[in-house]
Amino acid sequence: MLIKGQIISGEFGRIIARQKSGQSIEIGELLIADSNDGKILMQVYDLVYGSQISQQNLELISGMKLEENTEFELFDANLRNYMLAMMKSLVTIKGKNAFVSKSLPSFFSEVREIKEDDLSFLTKPKNPMFIGNLRSGSKLLDVPIYLDGEKVFSHHILIAGTTGRGKSVLVSNLLWNAVGRDYCGILVLDPHDEYYGRNRIGLKEHPHKENIVYYTSKNAPIGTNTLRINLDIIKPFHFDGVVDFSDAQRQCLNLYYKEFSDKWIEAIILEKELSIGKVFKDDTMAVVKRRLLYLLDLEFSNNQLFCNGIFQLNSGFATINDICQHLEEGRIVIIDTSNFSGAVELLIGSLIANEVFNKYKIYKMNGNLNDKPVISIVLEEAPRVLGKEVLEAGPNIFSTIAREGRKFKVGLTAITQLPSLIPREILANINTKIILGIEMKPERQAIIESASQDLSDDDRTIASLDIGEALITSNFAKFVTPISIPYFEDVVKKTLKGKEEVAMEFSELG
Amino acid sequence: MKFAHLADCHIGSWRDPKLRDTSTLAFCKAIDNCIKEKVDFILIAGDLFNTSFPRLDNLKTVVMKFKQLKDLNIPVYIVPGSHDYSPSGKTILDVLEEAGLFVNVFKGNVENGKLKLNFTIDKKTGAKIAGILGKRGALEKAYYERLMIENLEKEDGYKIFLFHSGIDELKPKEMENIISQPLSLLPKGFDYYAGGHVHIVDNKHIDGYGRIAYPGPLFPNSFAELEKLERGGFFIVEDGNVRWEPIQIYNIFKINKDCNHKIPEQIKNEILDEIKNKEFNNTVVLIRFHGTLESGKPSDIDFKEIFTYLYDKSAYFVMKSSHAVVSKEFEEIKTDARNVEDIESFLIKEHLGQIKLENLSLEKEEEFIKNLMRILITEKQEGETVPDFERRVREEVSRILEMEL
Repeated sequence: MLIKGQIISGEFGRIIARQKSGQSIEIGELLIADSNDGKILMQVYDLVYGSQISQQNLELISGMKLEENTEFELFDANLRNYMLAMMKSLVTIKGKNAFVSKSLPSFFSEVREIKEDDLSFLTKPKNPMFIGNLRSGSKLLDVPIYLDGEKVFSHHILIAGTTGRGKSVLVSNLLWNAVGRDYCGILVLDPHDEYYGRNRIGLKEHPHKENIVYYTSKNAPIGTNTLRINLDIIKPFHFDGVVDFSDAQRQCLNLYYKEFSDKWIEAIILEKELSIGKVFKDDTMAVVKRRLLYLLDLEFSNNQLFCNGIFQLNSGFATINDICQHLEEGRIVIIDTSNFSGAVELLIGSLIANEVFNKYKIYKMNGNLNDKPVISIVLEEAPRVLGKEVLEAGPNIFSTIAREGRKFKVGLTAITQLPSLIPREILANINTKIILGIEMKPERQAIIESASQDLSDDDRTIASLDIGEALITSNFAKFVTPISIPYFEDVVKKTLKGKEEVAMEFSELG
Repeated sequence: MKFAHLADCHIGSWRDPKLRDTSTLAFCKAIDNCIKEKVDFILIAGDLFNTSFPRLDNLKTVVMKFKQLKDLNIPVYIVPGSHDYSPSGKTILDVLEEAGLFVNVFKGNVENGKLKLNFTIDKKTGAKIAGILGKRGALEKAYYERLMIENLEKEDGYKIFLFHSGIDELKPKEMENIISQPLSLLPKGFDYYAGGHVHIVDNKHIDGYGRIAYPGPLFPNSFAELEKLERGGFFIVEDGNVRWEPIQIYNIFKINKDCNHKIPEQIKNEILDEIKNKEFNNTVVLIRFHGTLESGKPSDIDFKEIFTYLYDKSAYFVMKSSHAVVSKEFEEIKTDARNVEDIESFLIKEHLGQIKLENLSLEKEEEFIKNLMRILITEKQEGETVPDFERRVREEVSRILEMEL
């Protein structure tokens, strides 16, 4: 048992321990104080110097060394200077159970290093979703951390962290571990085309890759889908939160939809007349037409409509339905949006999210929602649709899902480096937050203020998170859990080790 | 070069005695047209027959037509489809191929676990034809995933790819629930992709691929198809130009009856009124009822009187669809599935994994179940004795289960 220090003072939420000489204590480290009642698990959130020598004398000693180069030695140096660790109590462990701590460890209790045995209360939930291994400071423990995937996905996840801290690796790991799990279907809008692994290691390597569906607009790799969406499927409300149309322009969209139904976009582009006559100014029509042509990558020439992009007149009728079907069957659908503008990416997301959400609402009404997997929509740069400025213009399907989705088993996995741009009300609705290193104070503050557990003392801990280190705060975790995110390549190698492709017979071959 | 592209003949699909021979009739008519058009060869993109063991009378007619083509030196190239393939590879198609009546172009060998297809070359035109069969539940997808494409794509000359699968990107809205596969699984660079399985008439040029064409069935195979397509047909391709050749067997007359806020008697009278001045020689009449009745049950509509009246007016055949009409007190249970195959698929998927067996993956279990169902649905053939029938079924099942029974 490695004793790291001893509790000497403090208060609830700020327990102070003196560090034992020769031992090192890190911010974020997990320590245990044993007592007759059980064990108290604590986490270090700050470190300060302590000394038996007065500040004036310390400054004098330093001056003699620096200015006069005097060699000197302190008697009983270990007793005179030391470190003090500020700790907060996470849980009280009794046998295989853990409870929120309501008492302080005994005065002068020794605090020791955590061992894997201490954490036997961390059991595997019903629908285990592996997030990473438990971390004590920078030390990795052989304790995998699982959350209940079904609950976590339906109650939304926020992944916050500065660029380069491991958000993509974390998402890749989450997706990899979710492949083939019946309890969830995941839609990934992938603006960097990084998760499928078109030209590098990615989800395509998964032994159950039949549960991964990849849509891309150009040069679809063998076995993957070319993204084509029929214009008939688009309705005016799909543009909510995606394109900022003025009131007059929006009325124009709605009137054309009312009159021409599925063919409303063609009707606007071809400037067909409404039965009630000319209602809109030429300017309004021209702007609406121009914006639709640009957004949907259409071309109008010789009184004919040509489709240059993913939105098509004669194909892609079943795409959105197919995607929903895959999600309902527990697959992961990755949509490569790297060739699109942000607005087009969000329009695609809006088309699918609306369809999924409406279907799940009907399932709930019909009483068969429990048979369906939870569906999570992975949104990169989430403030684009959940940001305060965007939502001032009105709600969109993503904000609706953030507020109501959990009732219908539809959740968001929002990824951002700027959580402060998301309204507090929405942040509070996101029950699980996986926090990676964040340098900017306002961003840390936004997370701390909306976390499921008390993070008020963890500002420094968050600031000091290194690449691949994270904190999980969740209603479904027993305490604010520090984790280390494994390298995605290692996860892939570990999974594939010893696996060989099953040989296939082609019995009908002539 | 001039060739015909047929698909989904489904010979023997209709069970009603009056329509039982219609698909055979449509096939004969199509072959006669091909002969008249002097095509160089004929492609059949799967589901020539509705089962792997068709009725003998239908078979006899079809064999005669193939013989006629053979005598005229018009070769036929086929792939088996999801209805007429057999997991054991033993179907009537093998017998007909052995007899030299056509060539199954799903040919090749397995190299390092990969499927290497060989081209079948049409002697007259030099056209190079390769293809992959269709299987139930789109299980042929696994073949495409293991397909070696380099040799297929590098080959020079006029190339045709024969297939029996739906394509995700191309399937229409009304077929969104059928199981299909991505376009990217097809090898690139063929001049003509002769498709089957999806009962639509479609013909598109796709960048990087070529012309992908579905001629639709030779005769519609269900009430809904009759209603939508009215007739079947096939493509004639001449020097790159594609023309759809319709096959008209019967006229179609459709009645779409809105039953909302109406009582059964009123509905009957409205229909009788609508048809009183019409004649229905050689016509199939389709009546679709939908809506919520003001009172009474759907069965209170006097269908018999309507049918009798139509037959008195020389209708060849009358069909109705009344599943979309409900009484006020009753709401029918709805399903997304469009056909029996889809419902079976959904039910199988729902119950997968209940029997735990070592080395039995869910995919394998699904394939087992589908194959078993396919065998167990087989009917005793004309002239086949009960012991022979039992032996045939037992042999097929033991082949699937890879065990002695």
